[in-house]
Amino acid sequence: MKKWRQQVKKWLANQLELPADVVMDLPRVTMIGHIHIYIENHRGLLTFSDKELRLLLKQGQLLVRGEEFVIKTILPEEILLEGKIEQVIYLDQ
Amino acid sequence: MKNTWAHFFIGSVQVTVQGRGTERLVNACLRSGVAVWNVRKIGEDKLTFFMLLKDVPRLRPIVRQSECKLSFGRRSGFPFLLKKTAANVGFLLGIFLFFAVVFLLSNMVWDVHVQGAKPETEHRILKELKQMGVEKGAFQFLLDPPEMIQKKLTDRIDTLTWVGVELRGTTFYFQVVEKKQPKEPEQLPVRHLVAKKKAVITDLFVEEGQPLVSVHDHVEKGQILVSGIIGKEGQTKVVPAKGKIFGETWYKSTVVLPLEAVFHVFTGKYVEKHYLSIQSFSIPVWGFQKRSFAHYETESQKRPLRFWKWELPIVYERVIYRETEQVKRSYTWNEAFQQAKKIARKELQAKLDDDASIKDEKVLHAEKENGKVKVEMYYEVHENIAQPQPIVQGD
Repeated sequence: MKKWRQQVKKWLANQLELPADVVMDLPRVTMIGHIHIYIENHRGLLTFSDKELRLLLKQGQLLVRGEEFVIKTILPEEILLEGKIEQVIYLDQ
Repeated sequence: MKNTWAHFFIGSVQVTVQGRGTERLVNACLRSGVAVWNVRKIGEDKLTFFMLLKDVPRLRPIVRQSECKLSFGRRSGFPFLLKKTAANVGFLLGIFLFFAVVFLLSNMVWDVHVQGAKPETEHRILKELKQMGVEKGAFQFLLDPPEMIQKKLTDRIDTLTWVGVELRGTTFYFQVVEKKQPKEPEQLPVRHLVAKKKAVITDLFVEEGQPLVSVHDHVEKGQILVSGIIGKEGQTKVVPAKGKIFGETWYKSTVVLPLEAVFHVFTGKYVEKHYLSIQSFSIPVWGFQKRSFAHYETESQKRPLRFWKWELPIVYERVIYRETEQVKRSYTWNEAFQQAKKIARKELQAKLDDDASIKDEKVLHAEKENGKVKVEMYYEVHENIAQPQPIVQGD
């Protein structure tokens, strides 16, 4: 059922040329080089250290790896991370 | 990103949390709307972040639910700054006092110099100035402007011809020119005395010279009354003729006076207001009472305020509202006629010398037209008609 709804949304986004992050509740990730990463539409902080950030998404998790991490701003749905970003990994669950 | 300026004013504090599930605590903060920034992991289970000072009470229940311990670190922002300054209140007061004192002293009169006056005149000037409030220690913005002081001084002290008033910095300089008492001219040029106008001689008073006319003589304008050439024929001598010749002269004057006239008169009531103005923006400092005048005239005096040697853009302004009243004057025909006669006489008297006297007056013509009275007067005057005329020698 959930899968089916997701597919409808995906089809809608494709057909109506709507932004996918709005229709499908996906995170929007903006990176500035490897020093800033700005993630919208997250669902909370899972783990955080100076080498790793793990965020909960609506579907799965987002893992950011690097060095000297500092969360510059964190709001209920947004997060701005600063540091040396090496990897951005999606984890499906 | 939030406005860091707002953070400064509200005040922010660094918080260190230690324990299990520090991330959960951050999530809890977000859910309850506590703004958090600069989150940093500084140890295995140690997290530090900044938050607003006003959110601290909301943080306590969140921490109590978690398994973390809370400690506060660096405090920054305006509220803390204020607290710090409160401890050093004397210092702040000193700075403020310093500026206040310099400001006050810059606006004081420190010295009054009077130059070019005799000691007695100087004493009188200083006395007058004291009465006007111009003396050591007076505030400049409470005094009249220099032009006004100049006018008052020359009005009140009759031995002054001119006084230059200059306010240089905090010192008043008065440059005085005294009146020279008129000296009797030692050597009058040789001259005749001639008639100023047509007249009948009534009185002769000759000090020097040869009178050529006698009482009841009718003289024309320019006729020689007293000759400056004296002595017998062949032994003549030229002298400056001197004397007064009184003659009866005649004047005609016309006065037109409206029966009704409207005047604006000051009632004597006034309201004073004081402002400090910066450019066109005025802040009232004194005089808040409402003026309830239907008609008034405003008079404003502006004095710039000074700090050290600079003129501040702030101007001290005194505004005086004087109540005026409309007075309607109406004369009956008879009153207007009398008044017109009085005016005519006054006008004539102003024109005549001091030793002249009006002997007789006659109304030639009086009429009323368009609400006005027109009076034509005829006067008989006894006055000195002598006028010197130099004798050109060598002819």
